[in-house]
Amino acid sequence: MEHMSYSTKTALQSLMKEKWINLLSILTVAASLLVSAMALITIYNVEIVARTLPDKFTMVVYLKDSMEPQDIKKLMGQLTGKEYVAGAKYISREQALTELKHTLRDVSNVIEGLDENPLSAAIELKLKKESVTGSSVKNVSVDIRKLPGVDDIYYEEKIAETVSLLKTSIENFSLIILGIIIFVVLFVISSTVKILFYRRKNEIEIIKLLGATGGFIRAPFLIEGGVIGFLGGLFATLGAAVFYFTLTTSFSAFMPLLRTLIMPVEIVVLMPIVGIVMGVAGSLISVGRLRL
Amino acid sequence: MIFFQNVTKYYDDQHVLKNINLSVSKGEMVFLTGPTGAGKSTLLKLLYAAELPDEGEVTVGDFRIGSLKPFEIPLLRRSIGVVFQDFKLLDNLTVYDNIALALRVRGRKEKEIKGLALETLKNVHLRHKADNYPRTLSGGEQQRVVIGRAMVSEPSVLLADEPTGNLDPDTAKHIARLFYEANIHGTTILIATHNRDLYNKTGKRVIRLDGGVLLGEEIG
Repeated sequence: MEHMSYSTKTALQSLMKEKWINLLSILTVAASLLVSAMALITIYNVEIVARTLPDKFTMVVYLKDSMEPQDIKKLMGQLTGKEYVAGAKYISREQALTELKHTLRDVSNVIEGLDENPLSAAIELKLKKESVTGSSVKNVSVDIRKLPGVDDIYYEEKIAETVSLLKTSIENFSLIILGIIIFVVLFVISSTVKILFYRRKNEIEIIKLLGATGGFIRAPFLIEGGVIGFLGGLFATLGAAVFYFTLTTSFSAFMPLLRTLIMPVEIVVLMPIVGIVMGVAGSLISVGRLRL
Repeated sequence: MIFFQNVTKYYDDQHVLKNINLSVSKGEMVFLTGPTGAGKSTLLKLLYAAELPDEGEVTVGDFRIGSLKPFEIPLLRRSIGVVFQDFKLLDNLTVYDNIALALRVRGRKEKEIKGLALETLKNVHLRHKADNYPRTLSGGEQQRVVIGRAMVSEPSVLLADEPTGNLDPDTAKHIARLFYEANIHGTTILIATHNRDLYNKTGKRVIRLDGGVLLGEEIG
């Protein structure tokens, strides 16, 4: 790397000399990375919401009326022993009726006429977070249904499905966005570097005649691509910060939910680094294949 | 050191060099002369692989020009110093950096580069112009920068295409002295020139070329 000072100097000179094309490239990279930063912020926040949904999920296991207290105790033991169960709470027929009466207190006449308690005893199950997905919950219900004394099972299928759908959508969305962004950034930087390369063709021919290797000739372009990517990443971070503060301050008056938005600190560091990596990779695509 | 064996070169079906047979020994200084279009520049270009022979074999040291692998081309060129007729200076670099570039491509350390480049600038009487850009120099000064760049790395072979073409007689004499000094230190030198003063009464071989054909040689 003894020629690095020459390479850096040449790269910086070229950045200044071709300032307009470089500025255009930096702004395009910044816009692309800003989109990905906003996507990451969205994904991050949706992920937080998705993470809290399983806490709200409950599976109710209705018991057969013939169950004796020792059978119920045994069943509780079996359920809490399952690896997917986070917690279990027994609700007797009487408790269930009391709860129902409390729920229907405004229309109490509906149940006042009943001669006997029509409700079944039940066990409320809280599942571990990783088990609250569409397919997993179905498997759990099939497994529990096999246990003796279980009459029926009820759960909000939609919550489990929503969590599952949300996670899959987030993953797919992030993959698509990342794919597009990678393509756009690589294309912009490699095109810019290719233009810069052809503008310096005469100079490169002279350096080649002096005995320069391909690496010596390519190094300034890789540095230039890295600088373009870094500055693009830096502007994207600034843009994302402005976007975030605007949403959480000005726009939250109309949508209070926006106040709860979180901007992960990692993005501040990540975007310039991603910019550098993409910049160097874009330059490599452009000048790496050229025969020097 | 340098061998041409039955070398022929065409440009668009036109012979530029025809069946050239020539050898230059290690440490020898040889002049190549002839009218414009004789093929002198092409002959030199074959030696640093800017052109490839269409027929025959050109050898410089251990390098066979016609069958060089891509990674060997920079190695060949680093063993040669070239004074180009059209200078080929980099306008965006100062005089100092133009000379230093020849050392940088060879991977020399900056400290070493500084010493050698400044000494070379002194030798070509351009120490005071180190921070100038080539476009601010006269033709003669630019030519001296090119000569400095070719000599700074102390190459084993030095090729010069009309090295005194833009120089006044005094500077031309000074430059000629630099070539002779390099030759005394063992550098093999091949100079293409019209300037008789450069080779007359030197006792060196003078090869005559015309229409791409070697007409013969004499002692200058």
